[in-house]
Amino acid sequence: MSWTTERERGSAHLLRLTCWLTLTCGWRIGRLLLYPITLYYYVTASGPRAASRDYLRRVLGRPARASDVLRHIFTFASVTLDRAFLLSGRTERFAISVEGLDALTALLSRGKGCILLGSHLGSFDVLRDFGRTSPVRVSAVMYRRPGSPMSRLMETLDPDLWRDVITIGSPDAMLRVQENLARGEIVSFLADRDPDARPDRIATVDFLGGRADFPTGPFILAAVLGAPVVLFYGIRLGPRRYVVRFEHFAATITLGRATRRDDLAALVSRYSASLAAQCRAAPFNWFNFFPFWKDPSA
Amino acid sequence: MTLPSSIASQTNEEPTASTTGIAAGQTEMEQELARLIVTTLQLEITPEQIVPTEPMFREGLGLDSIDALELSLAVSTEYGVELKADDERNGEIFASLRSLARHVTERRTR
Repeated sequence: MSWTTERERGSAHLLRLTCWLTLTCGWRIGRLLLYPITLYYYVTASGPRAASRDYLRRVLGRPARASDVLRHIFTFASVTLDRAFLLSGRTERFAISVEGLDALTALLSRGKGCILLGSHLGSFDVLRDFGRTSPVRVSAVMYRRPGSPMSRLMETLDPDLWRDVITIGSPDAMLRVQENLARGEIVSFLADRDPDARPDRIATVDFLGGRADFPTGPFILAAVLGAPVVLFYGIRLGPRRYVVRFEHFAATITLGRATRRDDLAALVSRYSASLAAQCRAAPFNWFNFFPFWKDPSA
Repeated sequence: MTLPSSIASQTNEEPTASTTGIAAGQTEMEQELARLIVTTLQLEITPEQIVPTEPMFREGLGLDSIDALELSLAVSTEYGVELKADDERNGEIFASLRSLARHVTERRTR
């Protein structure tokens, strides 16, 4: 079993439990229960615990303490709890601020749509909330396992969700991306990992003092389709407080036929540098609880 | 990209192909498309090595959805055939070189 299914199973259980508690007892009660859930995770999930420690050591620049790891898991559990509200659109008690929107609107006005690169730093679902008020449609390219507990739960929370999801896996997935961009729409990707990417669609670059794999697919798409690229971070600042940050990345991306590999590595390096800066600013928002680096013990 | 060993070792369905020198039993249209695929996607194989009946995506040639997009753009420029995301037959069209060639032959405008 790969880490994706393991992680999905774990977070689906957590999400279901917290959803049920929150929807029946309210957000405050749900939040109180996050403390024992965090402790349970800390004690039982040894793999994610080690991955958390490795990440925190890199981002904090010192050995991680148990309290750091607990805070990290608690932040993850909190964001997971908030997903129920973000997906079902019950965000009236949430404070979600937006930064750098000008970068996005300036590039959108060129009429070529926009590729938005998000990550597993913070909440990807705040983008769903942003999309509800956005003048253009925002769709997300993601994995979907029909009938999986996570898929079913997300469907229950947000019946319209799949209308705006482009499922990875079918040959025509990127044709859909092309058509949406051609209509001037926004298409978002999770750019910090792609467990299913072909080896030649991966670049290994420096990230927080180690070497890590990042997918090159979104940058190739931007080059092929002439679409601008904007980075996106949905950071949890505190209880029910989020900031959505947009950051200009490139108005156009050109890949040389002979220099394609190096060009892609340079783009991915620039992306990973931005991601690292955001990680340092909000260290506990990182939700890749698996060995992310090629040299985890370094 | 790496070439799956299945392509090199594939025995042909049409026995004449290996003796006549016509690549892997490709029709004329299939030969044309095979050349387009290899040049567009910069594959490290010769067009003749693409077996018309073998799967192109994931298995066989090992193409992914980004390749499919690049290929569809090339097919559109070359033959005026637009491949659409909402076409229910996409799975069928992209299944193999043979099925793609059949689709392009039916719809080509140039």
